[in-house]
Amino acid sequence: MSFVEIRGLSKKFGQNVVLNDINLDIRKGDVVAIIGPSGTGKSTLLRALNLLEKPEKGEVSIEGNVYDLTTKSAKKKLELRKSTEMVFQQFNLFKNKTALENVMEGLLIVKRMKKEEARKRAINQLEKVGMGDRLNHYPRHLSGGQQQRVAIARALAMEPKMLLMDEPTSALDPELVSEVLLTVKKVAQEGNTILLVTHEMNFVKKVANRVIFLENGKVVADGTPKEIFENPSNDRLKEFLVKIHMLEGLEYTI
Amino acid sequence: MSKLFDGKLVFTQIPTLLEYLPITIELTLVALIIGWIIGLLLAMIKIKRIPVLSQLAALFVSIVRGTPVIVQLYLTYFGIPIALKYFNYYNGTSYNVNTVPPILFAIIALGLNQSAFDSETIRAAIQSVDKGQVEAAKALGMTGKQILRRVLLPQAVTVALPSLGNSLIALIKGTSLAFTCSVVEMTARGKIIAGNNYRYFEVYCSLAIIYWLLTIIIEWVFKYIEKKMSVPEDVPIIKEDQLQERRLNL
Repeated sequence: MSFVEIRGLSKKFGQNVVLNDINLDIRKGDVVAIIGPSGTGKSTLLRALNLLEKPEKGEVSIEGNVYDLTTKSAKKKLELRKSTEMVFQQFNLFKNKTALENVMEGLLIVKRMKKEEARKRAINQLEKVGMGDRLNHYPRHLSGGQQQRVAIARALAMEPKMLLMDEPTSALDPELVSEVLLTVKKVAQEGNTILLVTHEMNFVKKVANRVIFLENGKVVADGTPKEIFENPSNDRLKEFLVKIHMLEGLEYTI
Repeated sequence: MSKLFDGKLVFTQIPTLLEYLPITIELTLVALIIGWIIGLLLAMIKIKRIPVLSQLAALFVSIVRGTPVIVQLYLTYFGIPIALKYFNYYNGTSYNVNTVPPILFAIIALGLNQSAFDSETIRAAIQSVDKGQVEAAKALGMTGKQILRRVLLPQAVTVALPSLGNSLIALIKGTSLAFTCSVVEMTARGKIIAGNNYRYFEVYCSLAIIYWLLTIIIEWVFKYIEKKMSVPEDVPIIKEDQLQERRLNL
């Protein structure tokens, strides 16, 4: 039995099938990158796992605990949400709270930790992402990259079994992307299980140990970065890689 | 010619009027709290789009906003006794309208009036908090109530504060109409004094001064709270030896 097992995950927006019976096994410590054209349900897959979207069908088991993703039970929902954490494209920090308070919030309110303990753990996490010198900064005082690092610290402080990262660098200025990617790399090297949606293919090559190519709600290709980027077996994958300049295409003139 | 305007009286009778300031404040505060609580409820009903209730809420807000406060005071003052009589008739009870303190009618009318105006302010303020923060809170595992209390309301309050302050000012001035429900507050007291000495203009001058000062105080208090609650403009200064970024080579 794998660490995380996703079974039969399906989601429609109206008539539009976004996820079509997705099955996925993830081992502990895996860094799984999800790539694919836009609108193919990459983000929806992550959001469904955290119940930010309501799938029509699907089940996920995390470390043997099985959750029905269509559950209406508030208790089960909270339980699932507590075992995963999400990092958003737009950071979504609490704007009225400082970096430190942002990280402490979940510890105090959800984990019901004592204030001193929460503070200690929050500072520790913020130092890990290189934000230890900006504990009392509010989000508006931080750059996008810094905000995203605080958001990563906020997610990690909750000690999730699986970290869901939804395009963590897509909303950043180009010069700020690297600081976030380095942070993600560090987080990956610490043995966290990560499901990452991204367009940073070079980063995926270096950090992920598995790549999943999603198209039209289906897993079209699944393999190591080497298999995916160097020997793509699938035509659609090849076409996609050509489009994003990861593969030499046919010669053409403009 | 006798003295047409007694300028001294304007100030000397202020203490007599102020004896009734506690009633004005009591009316204001209780109506304010009722207004905020019901206003928040109405706002949540509208935000969650609860069927039937949200239409009723919209109807209520429309009626209250479309009628003068003084008419609403009369409606409660005459309406509640009638309702009570019907209640007694159908349930065989014998509640006496005369045991209801008159201030209660005024509080109900003014509180409901406040709630209608504040509900729109509160709704807009809550909806001004971006959805991303709510998602982040959900992802952390917070419950709906926790999200409202910890994420939405603190940020909504800063947005709503200026409008809530304005409606509080309208309320404190609205209490001067409570005389219609036979409540003797500051303005009513003034009318009684003037009824004895026929110095109507002087008493209204005194009242104008008192209400104006009260309004200024409320404005100050709200400005102060607003400043306290908003995120500071200035970026905190980091000392060179605390700079972590360079050491970690990020």
